Amino acid sequence: MYSTNYHRASSVADAVKLLKKADDGKFVSGGMTLIPAMKTRLAAPSDLVDLRHVPELKGVKISGKTVTIGAATTHAEVAANAKLASVCPAICNLAAHIGDPHVRHMGTIGGSVANNDPAADYPAALLALGATIVTNKREIAADKFFTGLFETALKDDEVITAVTFTAPAKCGYAKFPNPASRYAMTGVFVAKAKDGVRVAVTGAGEDGVFRSKEIEAALSKKFDASALEGVSVSAGTLMSDIHANAEYRANLVVVMAKRAVASANG
Amino acid sequence: MVETAARELGVSPAELRRKNFIREFPYQTPVIMAYDAGDYETSLEAAMKEADYAGFEKRREKAKKQGKLRGIGMSCYIEACGIAPSAAVGSLGAGVGLWESAEVRVNAVGTIEVLTGSHSHGQGHETTFSQIVADRFGVPIDSVSIVHGDTDKVQMGMGTYGSRSGAVGMSAVVKALDKVEAKAKKIAAHLMEADEGDIVIENGELKVAGTDKSVPWFQLALAAYTAHNLPDGMEPGLKEGAFYDPTNFTFPAGCYICEVEVDPDTGETEIVQFVAADDFGNIINPMIVEGQVHGGIAQGIGQALLEGAHYDPASGQLLTASYMDYTMPRADDLPSFKVSTSNTPCPGNPLGIKGCGEAGAIGSPPAVINAITNAIGNNDLAMPATAQKVWSALKAATKH
Ligand SMILES: Cc1cc2nc3c(=O)[nH]c(=O)nc-3n(C[C@H](O)[C@H](O)[C@H](O)COP(=O)(O)OP(=O)(O)OC[C@H]3O[C@@H](n4cnc5c(N)ncnc54)[C@H](O)[C@@H]3O)c2cc1C
Repeated sequence: MYSTNYHRASSVADAVKLLKKADDGKFVSGGMTLIPAMKTRLAAPSDLVDLRHVPELKGVKISGKTVTIGAATTHAEVAANAKLASVCPAICNLAAHIGDPHVRHMGTIGGSVANNDPAADYPAALLALGATIVTNKREIAADKFFTGLFETALKDDEVITAVTFTAPAKCGYAKFPNPASRYAMTGVFVAKAKDGVRVAVTGAGEDGVFRSKEIEAALSKKFDASALEGVSVSAGTLMSDIHANAEYRANLVVVMAKRAVASANG
Repeated sequence: MVETAARELGVSPAELRRKNFIREFPYQTPVIMAYDAGDYETSLEAAMKEADYAGFEKRREKAKKQGKLRGIGMSCYIEACGIAPSAAVGSLGAGVGLWESAEVRVNAVGTIEVLTGSHSHGQGHETTFSQIVADRFGVPIDSVSIVHGDTDKVQMGMGTYGSRSGAVGMSAVVKALDKVEAKAKKIAAHLMEADEGDIVIENGELKVAGTDKSVPWFQLALAAYTAHNLPDGMEPGLKEGAFYDPTNFTFPAGCYICEVEVDPDTGETEIVQFVAADDFGNIINPMIVEGQVHGGIAQGIGQALLEGAHYDPASGQLLTASYMDYTMPRADDLPSFKVSTSNTPCPGNPLGIKGCGEAGAIGSPPAVINAITNAIGNNDLAMPATAQKVWSALKAATKH
């Protein structure tokens, strides 16, 4: 790791100011992605602006079915939030299976979403839930936010402040973890809301998280694992890497979708 | 190979192994090794009993109802440990001799330091080597200290590998202890005006057998160093060194049985039972032996299921350079192990030890792979048997 200047921001405005002053600054939240990248010198920011202690970025708010999760909320805090579990247990379950306890106690939803790792869990949830990503400048629909591998609609000095969504009638998540990292080798989030069924797949797409039209179509007819018997997805745009090839991932998408639906239906 | 042969012949894999066991010793193999002693059937029986081998079909049926493919696999292994006779490795082209060295220093207050060329990096030599010294002289175990790994202090030695610390390193210690004991008895006989042959060592005392005469160990040590009253011509002090060069390898053997459940949808393998029955000869410390076997099995399961190194074919760059990509076995990848030992003493060394360091890692991979191939009905499966490989092999098997 190269040396870097550390700043602890006291507010979102302060964070933006600190970043603008820096030569080549970066926001840091849990540091679970950025710090390893700095250790291997894939990233070498001159300054780190820490968002994790900004009070306005922390905590989960629930009013009726509307859920708002502050960007600096850790995975462990999401996993353990009983009120959230009562309206949307799938998101708590998802957070509870991110990485390992160390990662869950440091890593944050804002960092995960901003990073948009193609194998991260939250992007699947936010896309399937039709969530909105709230920044210091605007509100961005998940459909528009995740633009490719590690790519998002965020501008350099834009801070994610929260994510917000309406808890659907039913939703569920199933992932096949990469045995080494425990990221999703394939993860599927299914949600059945008033406006229909949305299914998002992570860990499998060549371009990161995506919605599966085949599975959405099948589940729109009947929101049950049996509706997916015989359904297959094309391996054409799926990822092949040392852990799994596209054909195997195509199989996992359907298997995980079945399991996600089964868990959504309880 | 044995498993495949059994499957193709339609005979029980256990029976095929039993039929081929060597039962007469010593047994000269065509490739240098001469097996000195062994009882392979006892390990096989113990493992099959512990695994309830006979009840497997019922368990398979039950798993099938839950949508899982259950398989059982065994492996009977024999390995060459306690390496090795120096002349033998010399004839194979080695640049060193594979003896081991030891020095036993009894201090003037009776505490004992053992300097060994066998390094301990977690194998527990501090415990096991101390045990044999404390046992020999009846002194408290905490009066013995083991010194290893410090080349400023320790004489030339050969090290720890090939399950040799017990069979070779401890044998050197035993040889040095023999010399210390002989000298101590000479001094004791002189002090108590008795015959050297009548001196026995019991509970930390040197006694004249059949009398109430005795000298405590620490007093004997002091006498050796004050040198006020030693036998004529004897050097003061109580410190001896020895080298031990084995006359043969040792041959630990055993039978491992693994039972798995494969998820046909994903190819994921869960190890639902793991049994290890080893014959390590005499055992100095059962808990340490069990720990060695546990560690070995974990490594073996890692090799069988998880650990694979990948390089980028274009650049030669290692792609699995961190634990984010290279899968080390973790606690939740492993079942509880059922381990047991039988003890056919090794005739080749003074303690009858065969060695246990590598057994777990040797016996487990074939047992795991045999169990998976049994579950999926396809013998063609390369390690590590990742979920994808098992899924593909299963698909290939069901296409036929
Ligand atoms: C061993 C290990 C296992 C993991 N397993 C999983 C897993 O199973 N599933 C999974 O989903 N993830 C996994 N992760 C990643 C983990 O969830 C990270 O916490 C997450 O990807 C990044 O969050 P962070 O808070 O640590 O962000 P940081 O590392 O601090 O930042 C990541 C990036 O986001 C930017 N950023 C951070 N916060 C904001 C913000 N509020 N606004 C704008 N930009 C911001 C930073 O500038 C940086 O570029 C794992 C990580 C590790 C180390």
